[in-house]
Amino acid sequence: MTAVIETSQLSKWYGNVLGLSDVSLEIEPGVTGLLGPNGAGKSTFLKLITGQIKPSIGAVRIFNQRVRKNQALFSRIGFCPEHDSFYEEMTGWVFLTSLLKLQGFSSVEIRSRAEKALDIVELSADKDRLIRAYSRGMRQRLKFAQAIAHDPEIIILDEPLSGLDPLGKRKLIRLIRTYREEGKTVIVSSHVLPEIEALTRSIILIHQGKVFAKGDIHYIRDLIETHPHMVSIRCSDPRGLAGLLLGEGCVLKLHFGADGRSVLVETNDRDRFFALLLSRIVQSRMDIEEITSPDDNLQAVFDYLVGK
Amino acid sequence: MIAEISDLHFSYGRIKALDGISLSLAEGAIGLLGPNGAGKSTLLRILLGFLAPQRGQGRVLGFDIRLEQPRIRRHVGYMPEDDCLIPGMDAVTFTSHFGELSGMPRQEAMKRAHDVLFYVGLGESRYRLLETYSAGMKQRLKLAQAIVHDPKLLFLDEPTSNLDPQGRKEILELIQDISSKKDIQVLISSHILPDIESVCSEVVILNKGRLAAQGKLSELRELNYLLYEIRIKGEGDGFVSRMRALGSRVEETEDRLLRVYVPAELDIREIFRAAEEEKCQVRHFVRSQTSLEDLFARVVGVD
Amino acid sequence: MTIREKGYAHWEGQLQERRFPWTPITWLGIRLAFKKKYFKFIIFSSLVPAVVFLVGIYISERIEDFQSMFRGNRQLLEVNPAYFKTYLCGDFLLFMMVMILVVSGAGLISDDLKHNSLQLYFARPLSKRDYLLGKANVIVFFLLLLTLIPGLVFIIFKLLFAGNFQFLASFPWLPLSVIGYSLFVTGFFCAYTLLLSSLSKNRRYVSILIFTVYLFSDILFGFFYENYKNPAFALISLKANLQQVGSWFFRLKPAYAFPWYWSLLILLAFGIAAALVLNKKVRGVEVVK
Repeated sequence: MTAVIETSQLSKWYGNVLGLSDVSLEIEPGVTGLLGPNGAGKSTFLKLITGQIKPSIGAVRIFNQRVRKNQALFSRIGFCPEHDSFYEEMTGWVFLTSLLKLQGFSSVEIRSRAEKALDIVELSADKDRLIRAYSRGMRQRLKFAQAIAHDPEIIILDEPLSGLDPLGKRKLIRLIRTYREEGKTVIVSSHVLPEIEALTRSIILIHQGKVFAKGDIHYIRDLIETHPHMVSIRCSDPRGLAGLLLGEGCVLKLHFGADGRSVLVETNDRDRFFALLLSRIVQSRMDIEEITSPDDNLQAVFDYLVGK
Repeated sequence: MIAEISDLHFSYGRIKALDGISLSLAEGAIGLLGPNGAGKSTLLRILLGFLAPQRGQGRVLGFDIRLEQPRIRRHVGYMPEDDCLIPGMDAVTFTSHFGELSGMPRQEAMKRAHDVLFYVGLGESRYRLLETYSAGMKQRLKLAQAIVHDPKLLFLDEPTSNLDPQGRKEILELIQDISSKKDIQVLISSHILPDIESVCSEVVILNKGRLAAQGKLSELRELNYLLYEIRIKGEGDGFVSRMRALGSRVEETEDRLLRVYVPAELDIREIFRAAEEEKCQVRHFVRSQTSLEDLFARVVGVD
Repeated sequence: MTIREKGYAHWEGQLQERRFPWTPITWLGIRLAFKKKYFKFIIFSSLVPAVVFLVGIYISERIEDFQSMFRGNRQLLEVNPAYFKTYLCGDFLLFMMVMILVVSGAGLISDDLKHNSLQLYFARPLSKRDYLLGKANVIVFFLLLLTLIPGLVFIIFKLLFAGNFQFLASFPWLPLSVIGYSLFVTGFFCAYTLLLSSLSKNRRYVSILIFTVYLFSDILFGFFYENYKNPAFALISLKANLQQVGSWFFRLKPAYAFPWYWSLLILLAFGIAAALVLNKKVRGVEVVK
């Protein structure tokens, strides 16, 4: 897959305040999650790749063209920022069509694109109301509409789900998935890790201005060697099962659940462990209710890499 | 019984916000959910003693919701969604001020403010001016002023919004700790369903001014005995065909998770035997249940 | 032996109802005012007239001792109601009072509006009346410190220095006048400040408003008076209005040739406007969005 966005040694300082330091990466089509603590450099990163600010060192290339002062490129990028900054006196329709005019479409196209975008975000009924009267969720949807109305190939979303109720979130997630199928490149930045997990497995973690991790969540988890993997097994006889596992070297620690129906195992070698587990289960004909890996999720990966 | 209301009606002018809600809340952490405009805020205003319903009655913490509103507010802690602080003060002054306003004597409020600030994790920064606080710290401060007077009912409005992942985790841990105590009822309104799932044992779902669902999460979510989520490592095809041979229906989701619909009479142990014989490892094995998200969608009736 | 449990601890106390639920708000307002720069200086300067007039009372009693210094100026130091009115309605004192309003009063409501703290207040068993009373009493505290307290102190010291009650016998209504006028001017300034403070979320803007409206009204009056020589223009000036009403309280002839109750009406209008605007701006029900 060819990279759509490429950065090389991208760095940015604001005076002596660090924004981003030495970031070289490639982003491919599909959905990529961008996460990191507050002040880590995520907004700086997004501003740099959309050409809003100039890097102190390094460069950004999109579709193999440089980003700065390349107006034509912007018609292929859609950006949905985190904070609202609307002209409150406009109606939703006027707002959207003005932005489309800036893109240079003909008036017939503007109409049809605006209608389609508003239809997708379900704001068609409210398009002639003043933005001042919009609720939080409606503003969020309007922002999203302006990001997709010109059919960009790259869509950058900063906290797109905030302010939406659970149904709205679901619809937006589905929509983003269809973009993935269409081969677009979507970058979603969010603090709510379960929401990123619902969208993608591929993430970029920024902390202290650097990229701490990039790639598939599960793959990254495997790479974090200092934290052994945890496997939780619920069954009717956890101690019996534990006894069967004790002998092997890949079992580092065992911890019994407070309710007496589960055991948490720490292992440094998942392959050996799971093979072992399966054979013991089948041999002993034990009743197993559940097998899960509690720390194979994004929150755990985040904690291990960033946490204190 | 912390709160009991029956047949509440309320309209703002011609807009009917609440259309006959009756519910009773017992101890524990309860999640309040609903689409925007469902009547959540109105219900909360009534429960907190700000608004009197036009029809219907109720009691919160034993006090009547029409006649004894200030007394309800004395024993309720509210953590608002928006940022709120008073400039020029430090955290201790801020927290003890609100403790005093709730009816604590001056010295007691001061003492309790220190305790509570340590509890929420602001111990080190409690003498700093509030203007210097980060978003996560402001959120904790809001929680501190809500619990300083040891309320019996704690209401949290979007407690994790605008927090980074660490902040979210820490606030959720604090909320879990508080709700594990008896004698304090926690009501959380949030749009972030995973947070509600991790903290609450019961949910109330509102829609269009009516009660759409209420009950313990574990009961509402309906364990589906016949559907298992399985993830294996190894040659999947052999395993899948074995499952099908055993009479199950198998679907694969995007995350390479297998959803296996198992016939009722099948012995679960056969699944493990099949896996071993096909030289696969079983890495994830969970009895599937409706997620809160599915429950919400089903109950609110859209989709 | 016990160890303290980690985790949330309950408070073993009783929540009580206060007689005046608003007292914490007032104390907080006073503390915050003292934290501001220059506030102590302003308070100090505004007490200077009180000190001067107190010394004046002393001198007037011991006039014989100071005969040499004040040959022919005896009437200046006669302590009578006009003396009190000169102090209480003095230009300098009124100006300093406005400065105090700017520092301690501008942010009273505007800060709460800006930082959304109204939600926190009204989630407590506090009524709108309590909240406003608490805020107003911050102003009341400082202004009474400059009007009522010195006024009563003057009376007491006059009696002390004179050694007899003759002064009170001549003007038995004076203490009531002092109290009445102090309450009146304090009440007016409370309404004035709280009204302006609730109009904007920006404290700086409110401080400019408080200062400028007062000053500008006076300048405007001066301008019209110079040009048209009609004393009724004094109704424009807040300061002149206050002084007119002050004259009535102390049974003196008003400085400008129109009835004092016109001034009273103008000032009361502020009070009504304040009541209406505050009622609308300070809303408790908006607490949960």
